[in-house]
Amino acid sequence: MIETALKALFILLYATFVGFMFMGIIRIVTARVHRRVGPPIYQPILDTLKLLGKKENITHGLIYDFGVIYALGATILALMFIPLGGVGILRAYGDLILITFLLEIPMLGIMFAAMSSGNPWAGLGAQRALLTLLAIQVPLGFAIVALAEFYGTFSTYQIVAAQQAMGWSITHLPLLLAAIAYDLVLQAMFGKEPFDIMIAPGEISLGPMVEFGGKHMGILQIQHAIALFAETLFFANIFLGGAVVTVFASPILNTIASLAILLVKQIAVLLIATLMATIFPRFTIDQAAKFYWKWPTILAALGAVLASL
Amino acid sequence: MVDWRLFEPLFNYARKKSMWIVAFCTGCGGIEMPPLMTSRYDLERFGMMPNPAPRMADLFLITGYVTPKTLKRIIITYEMQPDPKYVMAHGSCPLNGGPYWDSYNAIKHLDKYIPVDVVIAGCMPRPEAVMDGINKMMEMIENGTADGWKRYKENYEWYKKNQDELFGEGWREREARRWLPWLMDKKKE
Repeated sequence: MIETALKALFILLYATFVGFMFMGIIRIVTARVHRRVGPPIYQPILDTLKLLGKKENITHGLIYDFGVIYALGATILALMFIPLGGVGILRAYGDLILITFLLEIPMLGIMFAAMSSGNPWAGLGAQRALLTLLAIQVPLGFAIVALAEFYGTFSTYQIVAAQQAMGWSITHLPLLLAAIAYDLVLQAMFGKEPFDIMIAPGEISLGPMVEFGGKHMGILQIQHAIALFAETLFFANIFLGGAVVTVFASPILNTIASLAILLVKQIAVLLIATLMATIFPRFTIDQAAKFYWKWPTILAALGAVLASL
Repeated sequence: MVDWRLFEPLFNYARKKSMWIVAFCTGCGGIEMPPLMTSRYDLERFGMMPNPAPRMADLFLITGYVTPKTLKRIIITYEMQPDPKYVMAHGSCPLNGGPYWDSYNAIKHLDKYIPVDVVIAGCMPRPEAVMDGINKMMEMIENGTADGWKRYKENYEWYKKNQDELFGEGWREREARRWLPWLMDKKKE
């Protein structure tokens, strides 16, 4: 019991810290692409500290506070289901549909809070975010179906174990197609550039985030850090082979090695998303919906059909 | 309860190192803002970020002359920011009117309407000068002398009196209702 609680605490702290580092890496890589120096890597931690240290806070009622907490809680719950090397605590129950569902819940929480603030820009951003959420469901569903067809199971842990035996998912053609589709979907889940229509800084003044200030925004920063960690971890687990290291004698060394391998894979996923974000301009919302219902859907559906043959 | 005053130096360091600017480009100083953000004079080194939302902002840059019409928006934007908030006036127009010293339609002393922490003279100041002002602002945040938000709370009567003298009593209401008659006329047509 105590051991499980300690493990959960470890996962939470590790995910938050690494997630903040990921946010820093995104900012530094973006700056280097623009030939700038960029902030130090621990900059998001300072931002969060500053936001939590505000002396004044606004609130627009109960739902406004609740939505933010709800988003954070859903992200933490999603994190607990994803196998993190050998450490995952709920990994036996973590099936693909549950995790993909839980990874989209935070957006709903932010929508609750944004809509209840009564700001027209927030309402506009919420509409756009919900349409993006609707558009990414189709390729996401097909990618999940392709995985389940190929491995004959929905359990993430068993998929990771299967990849240890028969090679990474992306080395098989049907799953490679699903992985490309999922990677395009990740761009919208991160809120990164070609599909950052729901945030759209400059266009609709930060969209749903426009009314969050002070501690609400600090909690959302923590949520964003954990969500970055969880989404990259999920991708690394189901498509890039995860990590189960058993070469060392001591279990602690094994855990550290598997965490390091996972970290490399996660950073690879993150860098692809960041580099895509730095070179592509933003789509409008109708273009994004059309795009998601066209190319990623075709790719993922093709993958699903090939996997079931 | 935890005594948060113990952590105040840490929070002050964080405040100093991550000032988010509200992107409110008044006047010609708006042209001097993009060079500060882009690759030559990179402000993101200091953790600063232009931000379109006033709720998240800490630093309010007044970049150029302020007309009464803009001042209403500036005051509303300033009051929307959560509490440790800092104002930096940039260029000589918000300082004393600058070249618009005899204009009927430019504010001569911004300091009478909202509290200003740091003023940079020049028309326009070079980006290095703005960075020097930011450096000064960081020092002031570190030792706690950047207390414009405190002064605004303590001397609110004085600021409100000055604002009302300029715009007339009840200007917020009037500003909010200003387009209603026009919209009603449109409906009738």
